Amino acid sequence: MILNKIKIITMTICFLFLTNCTDDFQDINSNEYGVTDETLEQNFNNIKSLFVPIFNNILVLSPEWKYQVQQGLQADIWSGYMATPTPFRGGTNNTTYDLVDGWNGFAWAAAYGDVMANTLKIEQRAKDKYDEFYALSLILKVEAMHRITDTYGPIVYSKFGTTNPVIEYDSQEEVYNLMFQELETAINILMPRITPDGITTFTATDLSSYQGDFEKWIKFANSLRLRLAMRIVKINPTLAQSEAEKSLTDGIGVITTNEDLFKIISPNFNNPIATISDAWEDIRMSADMESIMVGYNDPRIAKYFDTSIEFPVQYKGVRTGIEIAAKADHAKFSNIGAVVRTNEIVLMTAAEVYFLRSEGALRGWNMNGTAQDLYEQGIATSFSQHAVSGLTAYTTDNTSVAIDYVDPNFPENNGVAVNNVTIAWDLAATNEVKLQKIITQKWIAGFPEGQEAWSEFRRTGYPKLFQVIKNTSGGLITSQFGVRRINFVQSEKDGNAGGVATGISLLGGLDNGGTRVWWDTMGTNF
Amino acid sequence: MKKLILLITILFCLPSSFAQTKMIKGIVTDIQGIPLPSTNIIIEGTNKGAVSDFDGVFSIEAALGQTLVISYIGYETQKVIVDNQSEIKIQLKESNANNLSEVIVTSLGIKKSKKTLTYSAQELKSEEFTRVKDANIINTIAGKVAGVAVTKSAGGTGGSTKVVIRGNSSSTNNQPLYVIDGIPLYNNTSGQPNDSFGDTAGGNKDGGDVVSLLNPDDYESMTVLKGAAATALYGSLGANGVILLTSKSITEGKSTIDVSNISTFEAVAYLPEFQTDYIAVPNGEETWGANQKSNDHVKDFFQLGNTNISSVTLTTSSAVNATSFSYANTSSSGVIPGNSLNKNNFGLQQTGKFFKNKLNMTANAGYTTQKIYNKPVSGLYFNPLTGVYLMPRGNDFNYYRENFEVFDPLQNMMVQNWVTNRDIMQNPFWGINRNKSEDNDTFFRGSLLLDYKVASWLNVASRYSFNKVQREYDKKVYASTQGALSPPTGRYINTKTFSTQQYADLIATINTKFSEEITFTSNIGTSITKTLENDGTTLDSNVGGLVYENWFTLGNFVNNANNVQSIGANKEIQSIFATANIGFKDYLFLDLSGRNDWSSTLVNTNKLSFFYPSVGLTALISDMAELPSFIDFAKIRGSYAQVGNDIASFVTSPRSTIRGGVIINPTVGPRPGESLKPELKSEFEIGTEWRMFQNRLGFEVSYYNSITKNQYIQVPAPTTNPFGYLNYGFNAGSIENKGIEILLTGKILRDSKFKWNTTVNYSKNQNTVKEIPSELGGRINLTLAGVNNYRYSLIEGRPFGVIEGVNIKKDEQGRILLNDDGTIQKTGFEEVGNSNPDFMIGFSNHFECGPFALNVLIDGRFGGDVMSLTQAINDEFGVSKETGDARNNGGVVVNAVYPNGSAYVGKYPAESYYKQIGGRAGATGEYVYDATNVSLREVALAYKFNVKSFAFIQSASFSLVARNLGFIYKKAPFDPNISLSTGEGLQGIDVFGMPTTRSIGFNLNITF
Repeated sequence: MILNKIKIITMTICFLFLTNCTDDFQDINSNEYGVTDETLEQNFNNIKSLFVPIFNNILVLSPEWKYQVQQGLQADIWSGYMATPTPFRGGTNNTTYDLVDGWNGFAWAAAYGDVMANTLKIEQRAKDKYDEFYALSLILKVEAMHRITDTYGPIVYSKFGTTNPVIEYDSQEEVYNLMFQELETAINILMPRITPDGITTFTATDLSSYQGDFEKWIKFANSLRLRLAMRIVKINPTLAQSEAEKSLTDGIGVITTNEDLFKIISPNFNNPIATISDAWEDIRMSADMESIMVGYNDPRIAKYFDTSIEFPVQYKGVRTGIEIAAKADHAKFSNIGAVVRTNEIVLMTAAEVYFLRSEGALRGWNMNGTAQDLYEQGIATSFSQHAVSGLTAYTTDNTSVAIDYVDPNFPENNGVAVNNVTIAWDLAATNEVKLQKIITQKWIAGFPEGQEAWSEFRRTGYPKLFQVIKNTSGGLITSQFGVRRINFVQSEKDGNAGGVATGISLLGGLDNGGTRVWWDTMGTNF
Repeated sequence: MKKLILLITILFCLPSSFAQTKMIKGIVTDIQGIPLPSTNIIIEGTNKGAVSDFDGVFSIEAALGQTLVISYIGYETQKVIVDNQSEIKIQLKESNANNLSEVIVTSLGIKKSKKTLTYSAQELKSEEFTRVKDANIINTIAGKVAGVAVTKSAGGTGGSTKVVIRGNSSSTNNQPLYVIDGIPLYNNTSGQPNDSFGDTAGGNKDGGDVVSLLNPDDYESMTVLKGAAATALYGSLGANGVILLTSKSITEGKSTIDVSNISTFEAVAYLPEFQTDYIAVPNGEETWGANQKSNDHVKDFFQLGNTNISSVTLTTSSAVNATSFSYANTSSSGVIPGNSLNKNNFGLQQTGKFFKNKLNMTANAGYTTQKIYNKPVSGLYFNPLTGVYLMPRGNDFNYYRENFEVFDPLQNMMVQNWVTNRDIMQNPFWGINRNKSEDNDTFFRGSLLLDYKVASWLNVASRYSFNKVQREYDKKVYASTQGALSPPTGRYINTKTFSTQQYADLIATINTKFSEEITFTSNIGTSITKTLENDGTTLDSNVGGLVYENWFTLGNFVNNANNVQSIGANKEIQSIFATANIGFKDYLFLDLSGRNDWSSTLVNTNKLSFFYPSVGLTALISDMAELPSFIDFAKIRGSYAQVGNDIASFVTSPRSTIRGGVIINPTVGPRPGESLKPELKSEFEIGTEWRMFQNRLGFEVSYYNSITKNQYIQVPAPTTNPFGYLNYGFNAGSIENKGIEILLTGKILRDSKFKWNTTVNYSKNQNTVKEIPSELGGRINLTLAGVNNYRYSLIEGRPFGVIEGVNIKKDEQGRILLNDDGTIQKTGFEEVGNSNPDFMIGFSNHFECGPFALNVLIDGRFGGDVMSLTQAINDEFGVSKETGDARNNGGVVVNAVYPNGSAYVGKYPAESYYKQIGGRAGATGEYVYDATNVSLREVALAYKFNVKSFAFIQSASFSLVARNLGFIYKKAPFDPNISLSTGEGLQGIDVFGMPTTRSIGFNLNITF
């Protein structure tokens, strides 16, 4: 009797439950502030939106500390552009050649997490359908990833996107070959799509100064090809020459005016160096910049740096690789100036392209001009980019040289000037001296983009920089040659150990900062 | 006028019209004749009552034939019929576990006879959590329940608490479920830190929880259900154990007003030790300069804290309805200047009986508001303690206290004034005054219960509850705050979230007998729980800053880059469940339960629903067989159960989000080709309970073994995945916990003058992480290292929560290996410690002598390790006592050797040593300490007033109370029972957390 009643109660309750339903579970389990794929396909937003993180992370624009550990405490320092007054990690860190793994993985993380992941998705969504987007993504990919291979050597490139348990690395030579191919592909896709007024499907999405104008993008792609070609000149001069010459003849040539230089104009972010310098006081003018630009009476110095607060009217740089007792010892030296207090982040100047052509001409390649003309045009273009005067006096100055460095309160950091060339072109000089002048001027014109300057310093040895006084690399990196690369990153050792092993074998040396990458040979410049 | 006189006359004459009543005097004692004060005497069926005085004496007017009901906590209630005697003597018998009437609240609020339970459940009476009140009720149970580890957050008063029952078993959530009167409480937190460096968005802050917002005075008991068998009825909610709170019941026929006030004073205990012999070089940020005396300014920075909890409870009741109203106010000022809290709790409970008591209705509502200024943070950002500890010595701390800001004529405003411009150490007083934060939390809880007695064997009850938590965090960061923390024009952070939980159930309870020997009790029910978590808006001007300095409002933001709407979770769980308890001859009980959950978080997986069974068996040996007479009670029990822990919301329906126009890929999605499923915990438990020597000695032992499979794991997805997920979520790995719990109770002395009761609880838990997939390298990192040398991980074959750090490299002889240039070699990341205690002991004593009662609780955690980055950084900065001593000794004595084998000669220069070894990224293995500690957790000395002379007062007591009075044993340089996070990560580490406090105060209780 009671058992029957229990049965009835059980059934009633089960019935009550069954009238509930789980149909709305999908809605409940969806983030109401998120977006569906269908919504995002409108107006190609599922493709266009992927470009935003790429633009924002070639140099990490936000948060600033990520830029600081992506490039600010690496290439910006080792290029001789800037120095830090801050004794990070008790004064032993990247600046004293004790490479900090905790910092040096961020460049890799941004390159793969923000750039490669998105270029791959663009390829998946746009290739053979909306090819112009694919082409643009290839150019941006090469722009971002040549920095990575130049930093680490062998990297994950062709195997990116595979689901193999071990993702193998490519040698730097393979990466360069692929990058040349990719630039060529991009140019071939964009050439027939050039519009007379420059307005394209990409105009509203383009965070660069090109505003979707494919003609300008092609010029940038060619200029990038020229840069890469010159980089491999010591290891493969034949390919270097053919790629360099192709960049001038393919499509519509290279960047020649400042309107066409490649810069990102960020709607939200300023150049992170501004905050790191002004608010954090973590980055300052380098001793090398002071030595060379003050020595040359270079008018661009007022755009690049502020005068020192501690020593009014003077430009005062900090030497890298010194013993630092207190941040305050050098904190009030020269800030980085107006050139970084802007939302326009220049990644390739027109002047650089002239200097590349000048070096090509010096090497006897067909660069549509003589080495001297292109050298002087490079300086002129840089002056006009920064809207400074005094060009003629500067270009013809054959007496000014770099000055000795004096650290006013710490004489142990003083240094005798090392980069002893003048500005004016000297037809009678050796090729080596001419190259030193070209690279020195390219170095000045390229400020503040330290990655390219560090790579070219490694390739050519110019400009000559003050050696570190304090070297805490434990014997891995010599003070004479400086840091040649960054060792492979921790996240890869944790997550792709097999891949790292292929990388080390392709590197052909120990995985540390003293081993040279493929294009960085011990051989002479000529 | 005449009528009025008549009325008054009638009123005055009324008592005499019931002239059969007589005055009865009585005395209440225990079996041994010791008077029992404050026993309740009520005339059955009326609201007339009396209370015995200090000598156990009472007097009451009653009529012949009426029944007096005499009750006293801990004793069996007695009834006496009024006869001709004018003086009666009543002896109350102490109640014991053998008593059939002892009931305990179990899952879903179902009351069960304790002896029939097939699993371990420990109950605490209200005095345990009100004797030495804490602003957070759950902090008071530390050391009182076997197998329960209570860890306070470093967030100070108003902070949350991490409670782990029977060890960590999940990589994602180990907090127990809190249940009030059978209804799950929504214990929302708005987040816990998980970065050992610190958060630039206001510092590493404790997001708070809901339990801390409850009023301890509202509850009469707390039951801790530890094992899966006990909690299986809660399904996925109860996988980590359940803590049940039962609202105070209202004594029928009585009106009382309880007033209590507790006022405690908190002082900082155990600060790091600092040197006073050396100062910094001029302008130096670190103290590695000349030998010169300096003041230790740190002690003077902290102030005496004060916490005041005042509460009043009014109750009244008749035969058919009862009302209770409570109000409590907590106001507190912290030991760190500028930190204060104010909390108001309102509670209302109404019960009513209808249809000849067949229908019972209960309505319950609670509302809490809490405001906290400058809630203490940990880590290196926005933390005043870094500036206090690390200020380069030789500077005048008082000058910077008084002049934390100075006028800047160039900007025409006040700007920060400090020794240095460094992100991790601002002027502490600038931080306190010009980076002020305000937390505003409100919590509403309302519930309704209808219970209808359909037949003598059948009840049907239905409940509905609604919880709503609103939190606001507001931080105004003034211009000239350090550049890593704020743009130059200032920063405004404002986060508002709200969360709700709705719960409804319908349960039929059957209580019958199949035969004389077989009893049958069963519950069959269905429930639905809907939860919306942290739906909110965050405004943050950290990118770009403010247009005009120090104008803190959205309209003044330079851009929209970091303003975002977000939602933490949204889910619905539908369930059906049933239990059956079959008793045989009242000495053998079989318990069966089953529950099926349908969870919205499992949409798009292979299986939307999951079933959890449990089975248990109890045998009362003392009733089954003839045992020696000194044994009063003996029981053995065993149970097996499975419980699930469902997955997080949204994981199976990933969507991209957007912030400042930048699309953010879904943070997590299921790994391709795999279907997610809930974590599944299987637990087997056996136990035995014994009482002997007339209940003077009792013990209870439980052994359990649980394994939690299908851990929900997130790993970074290959950046190439076609879905764009940042992480893949999948099920893998298992965590095994096995342990033993012993509860020993003794009534050591029960003299007429002096009583001593003692309770010892011991628990040992051993856990092992298993089956971590090889592609994860046998590990899951719960807290990533970032730029610090601290990592917290689950590692295959190791206990849950291994602390990893960097060690000094040494050879087999233990000699430090040096590089050629004399610098010290260090290892990579390796295991340096383990955050789990080996075992815990709580030793609680209750002494009574006349009107005095003394309670002493000693709480010990043995084993486990903690790391102190505070100490490491103090060393690096040359402010710690160690660095001063080393310098005074001419360096650090080291046994070190060069690569070429030659020994290091002399002492190692102190500065160089501590800059290499110290710091957040140094050899952190050197800063790992044994976490073993034994503390004098709670001491209360109470005096019960003899209230005979005050007719309107029923009882009154005054006590001196102390919490965390001191450590009897401790090795770490900080209190290891405080954690930087009450989440899963960031355990076993201190990074400038608020120092622990000892509090002493007094407590006054009066019942009218």
